[in-house]
Amino acid sequence: MALKERPKPFLLPEYCKGCGRCIDACAKDCITAGHQINPLTGLVPVELDLTNCNACGLCMDACPEPYGLRPAHEGPIPKFELEDPAKLYGVKPSDAPEPQDVPSVVLPLPRTEPLVIKGTYASAIGAILAGCRHVYGYPITPSTEGAELMAKFLPKLDGTFLQAVSEVAAVNMMYGTAGAGLPTMTFTSSPGFSLMLEGVSYMIGSELPGVFVDVMRGGPGLGNIAPEQSDIKLACHGLGHGNTQALVLAPSTPQEMLDLTILAFELSFKYRNPVVILSDGYLGQMTGKVQLPETLLKPGVPQWAVYGDALHRKNLISSIFLTETDLEAHNVHLNAKYEAMKAEVRSESFRCEDADVILIACNTPARTAKGAVQELRHQGIKAGLFRPITLWPFPIEALKAALQGAERLIVVEASAGQLENEVRLALSKAGVRDYPEIESVRRMGGILPQQDEILARVLGRKEVLA
Amino acid sequence: MSKASVIYDKFDRHSHAQGLKGHATHYCPGCGHGLAHKFLAEAIDELGVQDRTVAISPVGCSVFLYYYFDVGNSQAAHGRASVVALGHKFANPDSVVISYQGDGDLASIGLAETIATAQLGAPITVIFINNAIYGMTGGQMAPTTLMGQTATTCPTGRSQYNGQPMKMAEIIAGLDGPIYVERVALFDAKQRIKAKKAIRKALRNQVEGRGYSFIEVLAECPTHLKMSPEETEIWVKDFMEPVYPLGVKKDVATEPWFHRNPPSFDGEKILQLAGASYAHPVRHSDGFPTHLAPADISLKLAGSGGDGAQTAAMLIARSGINEGFDATHIPSYGPESRGGTSYADVHVAEEEVLNPGSPDPQILIAFNAPSLAKFGPTVRKGGTVIYDCSVVSDAPLLDPSIKVFPVPFTGIATDLGKAVVKNIVALGALQAATGIFPKETFLDAIRVALKDKCALIPLNEEAFAWGIKSVETLRS
Repeated sequence: MALKERPKPFLLPEYCKGCGRCIDACAKDCITAGHQINPLTGLVPVELDLTNCNACGLCMDACPEPYGLRPAHEGPIPKFELEDPAKLYGVKPSDAPEPQDVPSVVLPLPRTEPLVIKGTYASAIGAILAGCRHVYGYPITPSTEGAELMAKFLPKLDGTFLQAVSEVAAVNMMYGTAGAGLPTMTFTSSPGFSLMLEGVSYMIGSELPGVFVDVMRGGPGLGNIAPEQSDIKLACHGLGHGNTQALVLAPSTPQEMLDLTILAFELSFKYRNPVVILSDGYLGQMTGKVQLPETLLKPGVPQWAVYGDALHRKNLISSIFLTETDLEAHNVHLNAKYEAMKAEVRSESFRCEDADVILIACNTPARTAKGAVQELRHQGIKAGLFRPITLWPFPIEALKAALQGAERLIVVEASAGQLENEVRLALSKAGVRDYPEIESVRRMGGILPQQDEILARVLGRKEVLA
Repeated sequence: MSKASVIYDKFDRHSHAQGLKGHATHYCPGCGHGLAHKFLAEAIDELGVQDRTVAISPVGCSVFLYYYFDVGNSQAAHGRASVVALGHKFANPDSVVISYQGDGDLASIGLAETIATAQLGAPITVIFINNAIYGMTGGQMAPTTLMGQTATTCPTGRSQYNGQPMKMAEIIAGLDGPIYVERVALFDAKQRIKAKKAIRKALRNQVEGRGYSFIEVLAECPTHLKMSPEETEIWVKDFMEPVYPLGVKKDVATEPWFHRNPPSFDGEKILQLAGASYAHPVRHSDGFPTHLAPADISLKLAGSGGDGAQTAAMLIARSGINEGFDATHIPSYGPESRGGTSYADVHVAEEEVLNPGSPDPQILIAFNAPSLAKFGPTVRKGGTVIYDCSVVSDAPLLDPSIKVFPVPFTGIATDLGKAVVKNIVALGALQAATGIFPKETFLDAIRVALKDKCALIPLNEEAFAWGIKSVETLRS
């Protein structure tokens, strides 16, 4: 055992706040409360008289400030350390994983026959193919099958599914895993999505990726478990507090549930931002034909991921910018990102080229509207469907093109005008003044617009005009 | 003690390290956080795990933990630090994750997360700073504020109307998940030594993969208790300690158990889990069953939960897809888990299903009387109704253009020895009554669905054949 050479304390008064914990700790009364205000700190540091000091060290143990009372020896760790502590407990810092920037790897996937699965399953399988092995969730109808499938599959892939104590906990587990740079997701439905929004705001503020599959149901409040397009407003304009936006994707078939989930992970990492998939209760539960892709992704670890190793511990996941100018700069940065996301707009224009009547719809109502377009065409009416696939950002240029020559514009939706508001906002922001009066076919409460209702709207008006 | 090496050489994140802030904490004189930080930093140093440590900063005065600790840092929303810690722990199972939280954060807004994480028991380390007051928001009542203690939101002192102090160490120790729970204090040298030891042990439990540890630290907040630092130490000793007794609340010897393999990205395995098949399904039909509808056939299957309506619906959709058509199936359940209503809307389309709902089906399969009564009248003219005449005695009067097939689904299935195959009887009846797909199409779909329960295939084939036979008998 090396001889202990115990150091006496040393104090730079600037780093003493004068709490006096060291005064009680000292058995030799070497330390007394100060009397002079330090001009730099405005605090009153303690005063040291080390005449009787026996270098017991208790004062230094008592000092809460890292740079407060310190051993008089300057420089590296004092010699009186008995042994390298790392040896005592077996784990050396050097044994920790080497920091490395691991790129994602695209792996081939053999081609198979189409699956016949429900929308939530398609989304879950999409997430697995996108490399997601960390799923956190809380059961809520009609999204639960997604979580159930993950709970079944992920343990077999050495992944993690945790059923959280609430949606609030689930989104924050995502925050943790996303902070470590890994793909993560959840399945939820409208009331659960409301609960997650706090965490979504933090993820956006901290620039974390993550995929939220919201299988929308009837609201407000507990509402019911039937399909409604009730969260368009929330996803496009209400992602928690602050200046938040996220790409919002609206699938309309089980196949798109898979395809758009894979896309969502890609976009989420591309922009370091959450991506919301708005599905509806019908689509989540609907079984249909789903063709798997021919690749899957093994995700890497991005440079910004947080871990304890020397490289990554420089990183910080935080949404705090205490200095106003710092926070403003962060928001300017976020805005630039939101602007860049506009390159991701996607939409489908079905028979819009020569259409007199343009229907706008997304999710399951878009399928119904497509059926109505075919029926109307059959009856000799030039109808077309414009289907936004990204609800935010709204595909306004494609809509403008679809509206060329249109005489009527009808928004078909299972909500009280949430999609129509997006259409109006997009037209207004794009400075489009000249467009037909917007008509609507709306159902609420868990009822989807039916084809005959769309036909009645289109044909009824036509008769009046005639 | 000299500064732990895990404490930054300079606090660059503290107001850009301007002036003294590069080397001084943001804590008030006499605050307990500084000591708790110090003991934690020393423990990380002593265990040599800086390279694996991720610290979760909470909301509250210790929100800026990341100013000081040279480890992986993630800052969490108010109350959520413990679940953010879990997110990190499961992302990097070899990491050493610390959730450092104050009383408002851990024992009030994050109570659900706190309890659930503790009970989960995954090896993380929770350091809970209890100073009986809200610090950062400015002296409001904490869940741990003592009875009679004044705070800005209980200005006349905490009374029964404000609830009782929350004894977190005892609560956490009462759970099965945690392996080690101790309450320590900072008010004298003896307590500080115990605190330091406890924090080190809590961390070592995690390093060794043994389990969840929770250290409650009774800390001083002179600013909001409106006392001098020295008076606050005395107050903690004289007033807090009697309410929050110090000591080990739980310490269970546990073998290391937390071992996680790296995730698999084996494509074949994923395909197998997803039930994907390489075998190209054999097509048995000559084309779309246009004798039923030109391009889209609408079906409804209705019964009670447990009748197998959903499985039958899925088999119809799968049969359609195997024949190269598009098909959809939408289930609709009542709120009851068992025995409630269970309806399925199925569409088979030559190209693409555009209206997946079946409000006015062409074909109805009804498994009970209420379903037949409810949906029978919605069936389109010229449509087909097949119902279980074992359980329906009085069939409602339907449009004369509708072809009605009473088939004893339940009777046949019971005779075969398994009532659950009544839905397969129904499928046989559907095949014979409508000719929607050839028999082999259905049988292939049934065999694929039962590929993991091969022993049941003959029984299902028999049930299917009986369904066909029943319709043929009705026709003859």
